[in-house]
Amino acid sequence: MESNGILLLVAVVLPLLGAPLVALAGRGLGRRVGWLAFAFPLISAGTLLSLAARIGLPGSEVIEWPWIPTFGIQFSFLLDGLSLFFALVVSGVGVLIFFYANFYLDDHYEHHGRFYCYLTLFMAAMLGTVLANNLMLLFVFWELTGLASFLLIGFLHHEEKSRIGARQALLITGFTGLLMLAGVIMVWLVTGTYDLAVLLGSGLPLAEHRGWLTAAMVLLLLGAFGKSAQFPLQFWLPNAMAAPTPVSAYLHSATMVKLGVFLCARIFPLFVENGLWAPLLTLVAFTTMLLGAVLALLANDLKAILAFSTVSQLGYLIGYYGLGPAHGVEYDYLHILNHVFYKGCLFMVAGIVIHAAGVQDIRQLGGLRRRMPWLAGVCLIAAATMAGVPGTTGFLSKETMLKEIFEAMNGHGALGIYATTCVVLTSLAKVAFSFRFFANVFLGEESEAVKKNFHAPPPAILAPPLILAGGALLLGLWTGPLDALMRGLAVEGLHQSAPHLALWHGPTTELFVSLAVMLLGLGVFVLGQRTAWRWAAIPRRLRFDEYFETGIEHFSKFTKWLTRFLRADKPVDYLPVIIAFTLCVVGGFMGYALWPSVRESAGAWTWDALAPHPVRSFVAALIALSVVGVLILRRWTTQLISLSVAGFLTTFYYVLYRAPDLALTQILIEVVTLFLILILLGRFPRSSELGEIIHRPSLARRRLNVVLSLGVGILMTTFILWFNAVPHPDRIGRFFTERTVELAEGRNAVNTILVDFRGFDTLGEITVLVIAMLGGLGLLMRYKRTPEEYQEGPMGPPGLGIKHSERREEP
Amino acid sequence: MNGPRSFIFNSTVRLVFFLVNVVAVYLLLRGHNAPGGGFIAGLATAISLIFLSLAVGVEGMHRLLRFDPVLLAAAGLVLAAGAGMLPMFVNQPFLEHFQFHLSNVPVLGEVHAGTPLLFDVGVFLVVVGVTCKMIFVFAKSAQGLRALVAEEERRYSSPVEQPIESDAPPASQEAAARPKEERHAN
Repeated sequence: MESNGILLLVAVVLPLLGAPLVALAGRGLGRRVGWLAFAFPLISAGTLLSLAARIGLPGSEVIEWPWIPTFGIQFSFLLDGLSLFFALVVSGVGVLIFFYANFYLDDHYEHHGRFYCYLTLFMAAMLGTVLANNLMLLFVFWELTGLASFLLIGFLHHEEKSRIGARQALLITGFTGLLMLAGVIMVWLVTGTYDLAVLLGSGLPLAEHRGWLTAAMVLLLLGAFGKSAQFPLQFWLPNAMAAPTPVSAYLHSATMVKLGVFLCARIFPLFVENGLWAPLLTLVAFTTMLLGAVLALLANDLKAILAFSTVSQLGYLIGYYGLGPAHGVEYDYLHILNHVFYKGCLFMVAGIVIHAAGVQDIRQLGGLRRRMPWLAGVCLIAAATMAGVPGTTGFLSKETMLKEIFEAMNGHGALGIYATTCVVLTSLAKVAFSFRFFANVFLGEESEAVKKNFHAPPPAILAPPLILAGGALLLGLWTGPLDALMRGLAVEGLHQSAPHLALWHGPTTELFVSLAVMLLGLGVFVLGQRTAWRWAAIPRRLRFDEYFETGIEHFSKFTKWLTRFLRADKPVDYLPVIIAFTLCVVGGFMGYALWPSVRESAGAWTWDALAPHPVRSFVAALIALSVVGVLILRRWTTQLISLSVAGFLTTFYYVLYRAPDLALTQILIEVVTLFLILILLGRFPRSSELGEIIHRPSLARRRLNVVLSLGVGILMTTFILWFNAVPHPDRIGRFFTERTVELAEGRNAVNTILVDFRGFDTLGEITVLVIAMLGGLGLLMRYKRTPEEYQEGPMGPPGLGIKHSERREEP
Repeated sequence: MNGPRSFIFNSTVRLVFFLVNVVAVYLLLRGHNAPGGGFIAGLATAISLIFLSLAVGVEGMHRLLRFDPVLLAAAGLVLAAGAGMLPMFVNQPFLEHFQFHLSNVPVLGEVHAGTPLLFDVGVFLVVVGVTCKMIFVFAKSAQGLRALVAEEERRYSSPVEQPIESDAPPASQEAAARPKEERHAN
């Protein structure tokens, strides 16, 4: 346990804490910082592998540290087949991507430290999400991945495309993440625990809380849909491709977008019994699948083709859990691993092509096989895997996919038929655009654009895609390891034991359908080549992002309108609104709550309760007198003195009630406030006696002020009378005064409350104090920095006094 | 307040300054067991500094203090949060406090103190820093002086932006066109 815990911390927390150091090191190291950051995925992958070996799969283990035990929130991790599978994928692909990024991000880019910092942070957040056992912890890491993704998509933030893409991704994944939080809290309200292992062990009380849990399920799934870019939120993923290619390959194909799939797999055993699970997942996911495939066929940008095909495949992966039989699914790891192999590989290939040729429109590419034969080979394998050609993992995945979908057609009726149609059409489109991707980039004649721009990539950059393509080919031919993997990592409740995978299952229906799809797909491809893909263009209506952007625009217009509508020129004008609102709400509530008890005790209540205490009444009368003085005196100096007298007399009142701390504080605050008012009043208009014209408020306004002031006075008086009339059995103050020596070892209860019992509140208060001061300073500033000065940062030029040698030129 | 200075006031303030601070430290140290504490002591020290600023002139305070009171507040916040985090290193929850009783300390004899004092010192520093900074800034701007010295201006100012309600072209060109002195002027 102890050593496993340390291994886990090394895998997850080390990159989390190391990320800022990478950014710092980047200032001195420049692009070489990538090799420093490369250590993090290596370490994580190594420790996770040894963890997987130690816990004895298919068992599971929970490693836990207390975080906020009062609310049941623990820093707790669940190590089982599913989480380790995803964690190994994340860190394994991480190793390849970090390696690849070191060659991809050459000196044309700047801020390497920042880039690797975000990337490391992202990897740590991903590992945290998939390994989390506490749902609240899962949510925290979940949103952290969204944040890291925002930073990475917006990395090239001088381009508007990046900014829009980053904003869309953040808004959608962030908002759906909040919906997921609501779902998590609803699950907690029903079961009283955030602990996934406990929930999976005991199941949910579906029978008693059906409606409530269905709502929770829908909210959780909405979180998954947002993260995995499901219909109708699919548009953010293609726009996220504005990020540098290693980011696209890592976040937006291999790992982050799979979080939705992961969440579906995690909660599959909990909710699969629910009647809404299958229809919701099937309809949304298979629609996404078909839409993604069609759009991938219509797209012309290299990365867009891959992005839409990712959307399509994510649809399948999620829909897979929707249609899965209630006692468990079989081949989900195969499908996920297959997608990681070919999509990660193809993205890296696309990155190399874009890097080398400087063009990313597929219509302007071609003939690259002569210049990069090895890359052509890798791309051929990956494209074949995507198309599902026999001999690759793609083929295995497609065979099992068709087999399962035919089974589902028997079990699910209309839903199954819909899913089957989508799957067959998607496979067809996939074959077509896979061939197109390979053929139009590597075969044919070299275009003018390529001839002009081409520069050879460093050979080592080829290693990561080669490894992925090799994996797809090897495991496709030799299925033993895949079988072992699926057996070893199977999770109880989610999986059932699968029949052995084999290359040749005999002449089954799936094989024939697969052949037919392949031929038809080839037909579409040939047709496309004949017509030179002139019809290939994405109708903007189908991308949905325009609607989203319009909505955002209207929202910002609305907020501007609201601000202008509510704004007053003088701050004093806000006061009547606030006071009137307080009077209505508090007074109304008090009247509503108090009236019955007042009527009831009307007879019993006597004036004795108000029997005046001689000293106190004397002080109170003095306070009232000085307040009246403020109202009737004419000069501000005398008014101010009158007001201060009222303040100091309040101190005396505290002394009468034996509250020395309060009295001390009151005196000191009174002094400081007096200074403040004196300082500021020096700048105010002089009084009318000195000849300055003062605009007095109108009579109606003054009457309103009187009414409001009296209202507040009456409200407070009622409040106090009520609180004193109702004897409270156990005042919390007594607890503090009685236990202060015993629990806090201090005899001054006021102070022990401040620093010990309620220390956290005090910490919050002093933080707010500092924030308010900084805000006040910002508001009082008359000096604004120019953009040039601002870029240099608050402390002068960046770095340790070393000027950056080169600055990326603004386009 | 930038009128003629009185010699009597100036001399008295120098004495009062030390007296008030002695009281403040006394209040701070005894806070856990008797009336007092970080907040009260912080206010007292802030008042002593304000008195001093009345004597030497608020623009002279920067020269006298040699640092930005905001740094005090920041240090206080770090100290308070640090005192809270300290127990986490010995596997105790955040903000758990410990008391130590030391006997035979030279000069002081028996000392009873604990981590609450560290936390209280943090509160003290925050209160001193925030109060002084705000009062000094208000005082300086009310007297028509520059509210912040040059390097502080860089620290707290925001970039030139366009106001939310106008749809005019970005203000950056406008700002660049304006001469630099004008922007610095009050």
